[in-house]
Amino acid sequence: MQNNIIDIEKQALESIEQAGNSEQLEQLSIKYLGRKGVLTGFLRNISALPEDQRPSAGKRANILKGKLEKVFKNAFSKLESVDGKDFTGIDVTLPGRPAQRGSLHPITQVANEICDIFLRLGFDIAESPEVETDYYNFEALNIPKYHPARDMQDTFYVSENIVLRTHTSPSQPRVMEETKPPVRIISPGKVFRCDSDVTHTPMFYQIEGLMVDKNISFGDLKGILTTFIHQFFDKQTSLRFRPSFFPFTEPSAEVDIRCVMCKGKGCRICSKTGWLEILGSGMVHPAVFENVGYDIEKYTGFAFGVGIERMAMLKYGIDDIRKFYENDIRFLRQF
Amino acid sequence: MKVSLNWLKEYIKVDLDPLVIAEKLTMAGLEVEAVDERYNYLDNIVAAKVIEVNQHPNADKLFVCKVDAGGDELIQIVCGAPNVYGGMFVPCALPGAVLPGDFKIKKGKLRGEVSAGMLCSAAELRLETDAAGIMDLDGNFVPGTPLEEALKLSDIVFEVDLTPNRPDCLSYIGIAREVGAFTEPEQKVTFPDYRLPEGKIGDISIHDSAKVQISDPDLCPRYSAGLLMDVKIEPSPFWLQDRLESIGLTPINNVVDITNFVMMETGQPLHAFDFDRVAEGRIVVKRMGSDMDFTTLDNKNHKLEPDMLMICDGDGPVALAGVMGGENSEISNSTTTVLVESAYFNPVSIRKTAKETGIATDASHRFERGVDPEGTVNALNRALTLIAQVCNTTTIAKGIIDEYPQKQAQPEIDINTNALNSRLGTHLDVHEIRHILESVDFKVEKTDEAWLKVGIPSFRVDVTRPEDLSEEVARLWGYNNIETSYPMAAAKGKLLDKKVSLREKIGSIMTGFSFFEAINYNFVNENSCDRLNLSDRDKRREVETILNPISDQMSVLRSSLIPGLLETMKKNISLQADTLKLFEIGKIFFATQKGSLPEEREVVAALITGNRSDQSWYSKKKRFDFFDLKGVVEGLLQGLIIGNLSFEKIEDQSCPYYKNGYAALVKSGDTLIGTIGQINEKVLKNYGLKQDAFVFDLDFKALQALIHGNITAMLLPKFPSVSRDITIIVEKSVTIGAILNQFEKITQKQSLIEQVSLFDVFEGETLSENKKSLSFRVVYRAANRTLKEKNIKKLHTNISKTIIDLFNADLPE
Repeated sequence: MQNNIIDIEKQALESIEQAGNSEQLEQLSIKYLGRKGVLTGFLRNISALPEDQRPSAGKRANILKGKLEKVFKNAFSKLESVDGKDFTGIDVTLPGRPAQRGSLHPITQVANEICDIFLRLGFDIAESPEVETDYYNFEALNIPKYHPARDMQDTFYVSENIVLRTHTSPSQPRVMEETKPPVRIISPGKVFRCDSDVTHTPMFYQIEGLMVDKNISFGDLKGILTTFIHQFFDKQTSLRFRPSFFPFTEPSAEVDIRCVMCKGKGCRICSKTGWLEILGSGMVHPAVFENVGYDIEKYTGFAFGVGIERMAMLKYGIDDIRKFYENDIRFLRQF
Repeated sequence: MKVSLNWLKEYIKVDLDPLVIAEKLTMAGLEVEAVDERYNYLDNIVAAKVIEVNQHPNADKLFVCKVDAGGDELIQIVCGAPNVYGGMFVPCALPGAVLPGDFKIKKGKLRGEVSAGMLCSAAELRLETDAAGIMDLDGNFVPGTPLEEALKLSDIVFEVDLTPNRPDCLSYIGIAREVGAFTEPEQKVTFPDYRLPEGKIGDISIHDSAKVQISDPDLCPRYSAGLLMDVKIEPSPFWLQDRLESIGLTPINNVVDITNFVMMETGQPLHAFDFDRVAEGRIVVKRMGSDMDFTTLDNKNHKLEPDMLMICDGDGPVALAGVMGGENSEISNSTTTVLVESAYFNPVSIRKTAKETGIATDASHRFERGVDPEGTVNALNRALTLIAQVCNTTTIAKGIIDEYPQKQAQPEIDINTNALNSRLGTHLDVHEIRHILESVDFKVEKTDEAWLKVGIPSFRVDVTRPEDLSEEVARLWGYNNIETSYPMAAAKGKLLDKKVSLREKIGSIMTGFSFFEAINYNFVNENSCDRLNLSDRDKRREVETILNPISDQMSVLRSSLIPGLLETMKKNISLQADTLKLFEIGKIFFATQKGSLPEEREVVAALITGNRSDQSWYSKKKRFDFFDLKGVVEGLLQGLIIGNLSFEKIEDQSCPYYKNGYAALVKSGDTLIGTIGQINEKVLKNYGLKQDAFVFDLDFKALQALIHGNITAMLLPKFPSVSRDITIIVEKSVTIGAILNQFEKITQKQSLIEQVSLFDVFEGETLSENKKSLSFRVVYRAANRTLKEKNIKKLHTNISKTIIDLFNADLPE
C-alpha cells in the first residue's frame, strides 16, 4: 500500500515532467486528480484496507493530492509561456465568410444627405405629385402659356393640361396654398424633361427649398445656401451668386461653386470656366405670392432648386449621368 | 447671341481685357458661355514669299511655284492665279489648314505635280470680296509669319447666353448699354445716326404708292414702313459681309444683309418686300381667318391656322408676320423697289405661330420675347439710310408710314428704397440706388425721402414691378457684394413626414438584408402590360400614356415596378452579373378621368435571382428559391413591427406573371399588403430571361396603416425554458401553416408554451410517396418557476396527441 502511493507519486511526477503542452497536462491532471482519477480511486478504496492503515493511507493520499495540485499549477504556468510561442494556429488568410451588404442608390444617399442638412436648419420635408397640372407646374409659378420661359424646359405631356412635372417647384404653390406663413420646407423628388443624351436623362431628381417669413432677404438666401454648400462639400469651397432668370423668382440667382475637379484652373468638367453651376435660386416673385393669396406687403421669401445628379456626380466623380438609371449592379455596389 | 468685340466698339468705348468683359457681363446676368478668337480659322495659314514661278508642264493655266513658307526648305505649290509673280508675298494655307466652307488643305498632286499647300485669294479667306486672283500682301514679312499676325487681324467673339427676360440685349446697342455700366468711368452708348440722309430722298412720297392697314391692332400695335426705289440687288460690300460673318451669319445680298445688320444692331427685326410683287401696293396686317397653305421664302409649305397673324397684300398673304416672309414677295436679283417693314407684334401671337409652324427665326426669337415698341422708326430709318449708302443708285421715298393706333404709355414705377434694401439685405442710400438705375438708362426722379419714381425705358419690357427694379439694383451692385446673413426664424419643428420615415426604414432594413436599391424610370415600354401577361380587365392596364414620349420604350407611366425590375435584371445578366438582390421604392400610376391627375401610389418591390450561395470553401452553390424572398418579406415586416402575418396561396389569375402555385398574397390580419411569387416561364420569356426570378410587391399605404410605431419592451424571463421535440408524419397535402395555426390556438389556451417552430421537413426514402415527416420544437416556460420534468412530460404528451389526432398523423417508427 505504501509502495502504491509512492508509485503513484513517482509516475505522476515523471509524466508531469514529460508533458509537452497544457493539453497533455490537463489530461494528466484529470488522470490523477479528476473525479474518476487515480488518487480519488485510491481514497475510495481505503475502506478495503485494514483498519489501522486507513488513517495514515488517507493522510498520505491527501498530502500527495495537495502536492500534485501544486506541481500541476507550476507546470501549467510554465507551459503557458511555451504556448505563447506556438503560433501555428489557423490560416488567417483564408477568406472570411462574407457578411453581405447592400446599399441605397447613390441618388438616394445624396438626396438624404442634402435633406439632412436642411432638416438640421429647421426645414421640413413636403412632397408633391410627380404628375402635375399645367397650373401648378407653370401658371402658378408665373409662367403663362406661350411664355418663352417654357422653352427652358422640354415638357412631357399626358394630356393638354397634365404634365410630368418639369421641376420640383410646383411644391411651392402647393405648400403655400395649404399653409400660412412662415414656411420652411424642402421638397425632394423626381422631375422629367424630354431630353436624353450624355448630359441629360429624361428623369432626374431635384430638391426644392422654400422659406417664407417676414423680413427674409436676398442676404438670407445667400446665408442658407452658403451653409448648405459648405456642409455638403467643405468649408473651403468658394461660391458665387450670379444673376439669372426664373419667372417665379425676382431677383433670381444661379449659384456656382469653384470647380471641385480643377480647383478653378479650368477643366473639361467646368468647360474651362473654373466654375460649376449647381443650383438656381431667388427671392419668391410677388406674382407667385399673389397666386396663393399671400400678402406681398408683409412677407418675402426665397426659393431654390438643387439638381441631385449634379451633386452626386461631383461627389463621386461620375462623368455620365445615364449611369444612375442603368442600375448596373457593378455601379450600384460601389456606394 | 454672338457679339464681335470689334463691332461692339462702334457703340461703346471699352479697353478692358476680353476675359474681364466676359466676367463682368456674366456677373451682370448676361452669361458669356464662350470667348473665341474670331480669326482662329486662319490657323496654319502663313504669309509666304513666292520665290520661283514656272509653267505647269501638263496644264496651260497652272503654275508650279516654289514658295518660302518659313520652313527649312522651299515648298512646291501648284497655283492657277494669273497674278502670281516671283517675290510676291501671299497667304499660304499649309496642310492642316481648314478654309471657310470646311475646305481642308492636304498635300497632294495636281496634274502630276506635287502641291504642298494652297496660295489663297482674299475671298477664300473671307478677308475681302476680291476673288480675282491670289491676295497680294503688300509689304515685307518674315516668311512663315501667321497670317493673323501679319495682317494684324484680331477680334473676339463672345457667345452670350441670354435669359428670355432680356430681349433688349439681343442687340449690340443693348449689350453696349450693359458694358457702359461697368466701364470706368461709366459710359453711354453712342447711337448710330437715325436721320435719313437728305440727299438720298426722292420726290415721290411713300403715301402715293404704298398703304398700310392694321386690321388686328391687338396683335400688331405698330407697323412702320419705308420705301426704296431704283435699288440694285448685289452682293454687299466687304465691311458688311465681314460684320455678319463675324457672328456667323451668311451674307445674302445688300438689302437682306442690311436688314439683318440693323436687327443685330438695334434688336428690331426688319423685313424687306419686293414692292413690285405686293399687289395693289397695299399691306394689310390681319388674322388669316381661315385655313390655307403658304410658302415661306425658304421654299417650305405651311398650313396656316385662322388665328395666325399675316401680312397680306391686295391678293393674299405675303409674310407670316414676325416669323418669316413669303416666297411670293421675296427680294430677288431683279428687285428694284423695296418696302422695308419695321413693326411691333404681340409676343404671344408670334410665339404661337412660330410653335405651330415649327419655324424659329432670329426675328421670331426677338418678337416673342418682346422688342422695343418705340424702336421701330429708328431701326427703319437706319436701314433705309444704310441701303441707300451701300447701293448708291437708290432713292428713298419721301416720308415713312408709321401706323401706331394706340401709343403705349411709358410706364413708371414708384419704389420704396427701404423696402428694396430690406428685400435684398443691402444698405444702399437713395442716391446710390438712383445712380445704379440711371447707369442702364432708367429715368429716375426722387419724390420723397425714401421714394423714387422710375421711368421704365420702352426697351425694358421685362421690368413691370418694384421687385424687378430690385433685381436691377442687385445685379448691377453685384450679387457678391451683398452681405451674407442668416434668417431669424421660429424654432418650430415638425415630425418627419411619415412617408419619408417609412421609406428610410425600409431602405435600412432592405440594405441590411444585402439588397441594392435600384431606381428605374417612371416610364416603361408600352407593351409592359402585355409582357406581364395582364388580363384585359386588370387595373394595371389603366395606364397614363405620354403624348410626346422619347421612344416607345418609355411611353407609358408604370403601373407596377415589376417591369422595371425585370428590365434591370435583363441588363445585368447581359453584363454577366447573374446574382441580384434588388429593391425599389417608387410610385406607380393609374389613369383617372380624362384631364385629371392620375392616381399616384407608392410601392416597394424587390427581386432576387441567381445564387443564394456560391461555390466556395465553406459552401456549395445553391439557387435562390421562394423561401429566400419570403424570409425577406417576413424580416422586413418584422422590422417594421407589423405582426399577424399570413401568406395565402394565390389560386386565381389575379397575378398572371407568377408561376401557378408559387405565389402568395401577403397579409397582416385581414389587410392585404401585397404579393410575392416566382415569375413564370412565359413572362421570363417575354423579357428574354432564362433564369428564375422571385419578386415581391408591397403597397406603401397598407404598410403605413399597419405601423403603430410604439415598441413596448417585454420583461425578460427569469426562469429557464425547456424544449421538447415532436416529429409527426402527415399527408403531403397538409400545410405547415395549418399545423402551426393549431399550435397557435393551443398556445393561446396554454400559457406555458412559449414558442413552436418547425425545424425539419423530410420526404421520400422510407416514407410512402404521399407522406412527409415534420419535426417541431416546442419551448415551454413558466413565468414564475422552473418547470418540473413531470409537468412538461404530461403537457407535451397532451399537445402531441391533440396535433396527431387533428391531422391524422403517425409517429415515426
